[in-house]
Amino acid sequence: MADYPVAKTTDITPGRTLRVVVDGTEVLLCNVDGAIYAIEDVCTHDGAPLDQGELEECRIVCPRHGAEFDVRTGEVLKLPAVMPLPTYSVRIEDDNVYVDV
Amino acid sequence: MATQLKTAPIGGEYEHGFHDPENYVFQSGKGLTREIVANISELKNEPGWMRDFRLKALDIFLSKPMPWWGDTQRLAEIDFDNIQYFVRASDRAEKSWDDVPEDIKKTFDKLGIPEAERKFLSGVSAQYESEVVYHSIRKDLEDLGVIFCDMDTAVREYPEIVKKYFSTVIPPADNKFAALNSAVWSGGSFAYVPAGVEVKTPLQAYFRINSENMGQFERTLLIAEPGAKFHYTEGCTAPKFSSSSLHSAVVELIAQEGSTIRYTTIQNWYKNIFNLVTKRAVAYKNATVEWVDGNLGSRLTMKYPAIYLMGEGARGTILSMAVGGEGQHQDAGAKVIHAAPNTTSVITNKSLSAHGGKTTYRGLVEIMPNAVNSRTHVKCDAIIMDEESSSDTKPTMKVHEQQSTVEHEASVSKISEEQLFYAMSRGLSEADARGLIVNGFFDFFVKELPMEYAVELNRLIKMEMEGSVG
Repeated sequence: MADYPVAKTTDITPGRTLRVVVDGTEVLLCNVDGAIYAIEDVCTHDGAPLDQGELEECRIVCPRHGAEFDVRTGEVLKLPAVMPLPTYSVRIEDDNVYVDV
Repeated sequence: MATQLKTAPIGGEYEHGFHDPENYVFQSGKGLTREIVANISELKNEPGWMRDFRLKALDIFLSKPMPWWGDTQRLAEIDFDNIQYFVRASDRAEKSWDDVPEDIKKTFDKLGIPEAERKFLSGVSAQYESEVVYHSIRKDLEDLGVIFCDMDTAVREYPEIVKKYFSTVIPPADNKFAALNSAVWSGGSFAYVPAGVEVKTPLQAYFRINSENMGQFERTLLIAEPGAKFHYTEGCTAPKFSSSSLHSAVVELIAQEGSTIRYTTIQNWYKNIFNLVTKRAVAYKNATVEWVDGNLGSRLTMKYPAIYLMGEGARGTILSMAVGGEGQHQDAGAKVIHAAPNTTSVITNKSLSAHGGKTTYRGLVEIMPNAVNSRTHVKCDAIIMDEESSSDTKPTMKVHEQQSTVEHEASVSKISEEQLFYAMSRGLSEADARGLIVNGFFDFFVKELPMEYAVELNRLIKMEMEGSVG
């Protein structure tokens, strides 16, 4: 667990995402109805970032080829991606967000 | 063997180049706007979710750049503002052949559709312009729960199944042309075969473009429930036109556990048509998907049937052939993603280029980590008939799992003097000898076709050959 806060909860409103770098890893924080989840910010299909993609409920849609992942589990929901996304555990203290990479 | 047909060389007068006078109930006008897309949806009485899907896809289409790879020079010739995106030739899909309007029937007569019906094949649905005008399915299949109809009907009558599977294999954002299809799609086939049902005769559909500058954007979705088995075939011929037409289909195949889908298509487009198609199948545990894909004609074809092997023991086979004649570029290939252990795939691609034509094999096989004991065999052969023609082979192999077997073989050749000499020493003329050798070259493909298609393809190859030895 990175022992420093990577974001404020107020930085990510529900339905929005925020890209942060935690100990050298690109992480995408996703707010699903108030709960914050962390996934690696790399689409497993083409290896490029997901942060420009839309977050629809718990699904993040890759902006380039339309692959979809469940941000809670990293599971692939739609091709052309076939490999799941790495996910990280998130801890909230006060309004600080900590991510375990 | 004798080549009796008196036909012109490749790229000359087109035998199927008849052209019926246009008489349409509705035409959308040229160009593409939100209004046109919304109109298409409204005319079809579609539910709101499909309308929203179309409009969203339109935004994706407009925001996506043209492909930066492939034959970009030819792709740049497409003028999207000069294409008509929707034409409706008849007010409703007809059930009985007698009700089909006369000029449409004439076109189908020339194509041999009634014969197919007389032969009592499982079901015939033919797409003329944008919507399917004729469709029938055999009663015994209906009783087994098999659904085979045009896609528009499926959206209206089987919304649960369609909504569950539609666009799950090919999202609109996959590529610019998949997005375009998603926005303006019309017609295409829908097949649903319930668990454990085997359809013994092929389900058939026929496509044809008639109106000048007419885009045809059919959408096909085929679903095999666990243990189901069926064979779908479609063919395309198009009449000749003076300016470019765009054909951009999306075909999705879903093979559930232990099922088998075979998809056979022969496409024979006139040489000014852009044929930019996205075809993709997903095969779950122990399922089998087979693409049998023949490409003739067109200005530019870009088509790479894909199979995603998602479950253990899934199998994929892609057989394809291409003939590139004068002014044509056949950029065809295949794609297989091994995403589960013990999956196997075989890709066989053969092409012939003549009279300055060009063929490209562009393929990808990717073996994902943990897809242990996966095996793939890729074979691509090309014959180049003369010095003006060319052929490229671009096979990509990405192997992330060491415990797998990957084989690739390729050859590029001309017709060998030795073979010619041998055949001619048996009394054949040079032209016949060449024809014989080329037919043998494509035999792997022809023998996999249903009879009517095999006859048609053999005839087409003969025609092309006659031109190429003149």
